[in-house]
Amino acid sequence: MNRLLIVDDSKLMRDMVAACLRPLGAVTFEFAATGLEAIERLALASFALVVLDLNMPDVGGIEVIEFVRSQDRLRELPILIVTTRGDDESRARVLGAGASSFLAKPFAPAQILDEVRKLLGSRRADT
Amino acid sequence: MSDRVDLQEFVGAFVAEADELIASANGLLLEIEAANAQGGSKPRAVRDLFRALHTIKGLAGMIGVEPIVELAHGLETLLRSADRGGGTLRRAAVDVSLQGIAAIAERVRAVAEQRSVAEAPDPLLELIAATDAQADRRPAMTPIIAEWDARLTPGERHQLGSALAAGAHAWTVTFAPSADNAERGITIVSVRERLAALGDIVKVQPRVTPGAASSIAFDILLTSEADAAALAEAAATTFDRVVAVSLPVPAISEPAGEPEAPLLDMSDEGPTAIGRSLVRVDLARLDELQEQLSLLIVSRFRLEREIAAHAAQGHDVRRLSEVAALQGRQLRDLRRAILRARTVRVAEVLEPLPLLVRSLARAAQREVRLEIDARDAELDKAVADRLLPALVHLVRNAVDHALESADERVARGKPRTGTVHVRCSEISGNRVEIVVEDDGRGIDRAAIAQRVGHPIDDDRELLAVIAAPGFSTRTVATRTSGRGLGMDIVKRIAVDVLGGELTLATVLGAGTAFTLRVPLTIAVVDVFSFECGSQAFVVPVSTIEEIFELSAEPAMQPPMSAGTASPVRMLERRGHAVPVMSLGTLLAIDSGANARKAIVIRRDGAPVAFAVDRMLGRHEVVVRPIDDPLVKWPGISGATDLGDGRPTLVLDLAARGLVRERRV
Repeated sequence: MNRLLIVDDSKLMRDMVAACLRPLGAVTFEFAATGLEAIERLALASFALVVLDLNMPDVGGIEVIEFVRSQDRLRELPILIVTTRGDDESRARVLGAGASSFLAKPFAPAQILDEVRKLLGSRRADT
Repeated sequence: MSDRVDLQEFVGAFVAEADELIASANGLLLEIEAANAQGGSKPRAVRDLFRALHTIKGLAGMIGVEPIVELAHGLETLLRSADRGGGTLRRAAVDVSLQGIAAIAERVRAVAEQRSVAEAPDPLLELIAATDAQADRRPAMTPIIAEWDARLTPGERHQLGSALAAGAHAWTVTFAPSADNAERGITIVSVRERLAALGDIVKVQPRVTPGAASSIAFDILLTSEADAAALAEAAATTFDRVVAVSLPVPAISEPAGEPEAPLLDMSDEGPTAIGRSLVRVDLARLDELQEQLSLLIVSRFRLEREIAAHAAQGHDVRRLSEVAALQGRQLRDLRRAILRARTVRVAEVLEPLPLLVRSLARAAQREVRLEIDARDAELDKAVADRLLPALVHLVRNAVDHALESADERVARGKPRTGTVHVRCSEISGNRVEIVVEDDGRGIDRAAIAQRVGHPIDDDRELLAVIAAPGFSTRTVATRTSGRGLGMDIVKRIAVDVLGGELTLATVLGAGTAFTLRVPLTIAVVDVFSFECGSQAFVVPVSTIEEIFELSAEPAMQPPMSAGTASPVRMLERRGHAVPVMSLGTLLAIDSGANARKAIVIRRDGAPVAFAVDRMLGRHEVVVRPIDDPLVKWPGISGATDLGDGRPTLVLDLAARGLVRERRV
């Protein structure tokens, strides 16, 4: 079963993202409240996809992306950034750092679901 | 499975999380202001504040509350520039932020109460945009630690700089996570928490470690008074991975303010620390639980009656009685558990007070220090919600009326700054005692006696006078308290609503203390109110089967068996004969001629209707037992206050005595 990691410092936001992705069916959700926790979990276990917030204490989303992309094992891991910073500059910075996709908050439930389906689908086609 | 997901189901959770973020933001702003007053700064608090607003903005966007998004966005921009500028937030910016957060809080309330949310006011948005966050005095950006320097933001650098200038030691601790460690519960989150308890974390940085046993490591930069051994233990690492960071002194050119207080409670408060073992529950759900429980208790009484009836017929009921007794104990335990789930910490309830005092003190141009001492006292949330307005009133009076101006205090040989002290402790009899005390001018008993035209002998009589409705010692309206002292409201909450007591002790020239003693817990009941014989009564919703219009029902012959003076007649209802009794006649207050409505309850399984004049509404009330033997009457289970300050009787229409006694 696919494991998805949802990283956000707001519990409510984590719950909402999980609710939006419920229609995926056969996935299990795991959660991390900080970038640090996310890095640790990614280093210790395998995930099919990460949904990542940018602004978090100590270690932000960008640093998490940089860490993920620096690891051979995780080079192909799909990372979906969800952030309130929807401007083009942020988008460029995030995609430049190695994120797979970018979604600005607020988003509609269907938007994130589509995005995640696309990312999971393309990964399946690769391997 | 349908792809449609509705985020509106999260509105309740949004209100709860937003409330928490708002409370934390207000607390952070007060901390920043306190640091400013001492010439220091709180970069970490500025950063946490930024993040709180950022989160509010994101959540409000998801729920679709645009005005909150706009306000949070403005404040977030202001705070980002403060963080980039070294983590100082000057006074004007603190004020604007408080205003902005108050405007957000107002709109969160509107969401909670399902009202329409007011637009974000343009003048406020413009004010926020026009505010310059930074202090005039900018901290110097001296490089501090070569290996860290490039990785620190200006705010973090400033935090480190001021700590070092104040004589703290800086350390780099390295933690390598592993599956082994994770299994034993040692993760970066737990390590971070433990280190935060020993010092002040400046930055945590992940690092890739190719070739090593673990593919990553975290470098944690902190300032701490603890020694290397303690730090190594906290980080589950070895001695050699704790490195004292050497520094070029002086690290920072600005005059060092007070050393920052350890930030442990702040950094501990992140979502990593909370959220693990705490679940927020809507109070309405707990109420629902309690209501279900009271229904269970009622049905248990019925079970006991049935058992007693069986026993009276000579059946062996020992086994049944044993089970019933066990169930009774379990019900009591369940009731206790639900009560525990409803309690909140008093310290949490009092959270709004510092902010209140701050704004009152400013408006009244007083210098005020608020001391809160709530230790670990806990209260039922239902009590806490009702109590807070009374405490707000007392604190407001203390600042507005009791405390003298700074000059006047100095002239009287008192400290310049007045003190308002709020103390809370649990006392015997399942009650809490809350004292609101000031060291102000005291209440002038003689002057008040002269005004009311009769002598006042002691503080008890004085309280009775000032707590009379409409009493005011002021002829000049103050901006915040209006004309009256409003002590009648305080007394009503403490005594009539909560069934507690209120006492007063005052010494002219030295200060005043109000003491409230209230029960730890109260039962909130959902009731219908109605009128009968020009008097209002309430009856618990859970006991009512239906309410119908009287005139529309065809009357039947009165039963022949009842006494001739019986106020009973029969009506046909859904094919059954239902006895209808005039409640006015039963209570001997009215002839029942004006009765237009019938309230149907079930007694021993059969419907019984009571005719009343008209229904008034539905309320949630606190029911107090009636101790006065003169008011003891079958069918009257307690008294309540519907908000008009007069006691209203709570009826138990199913009580046997209510009908039988009046019938014979």
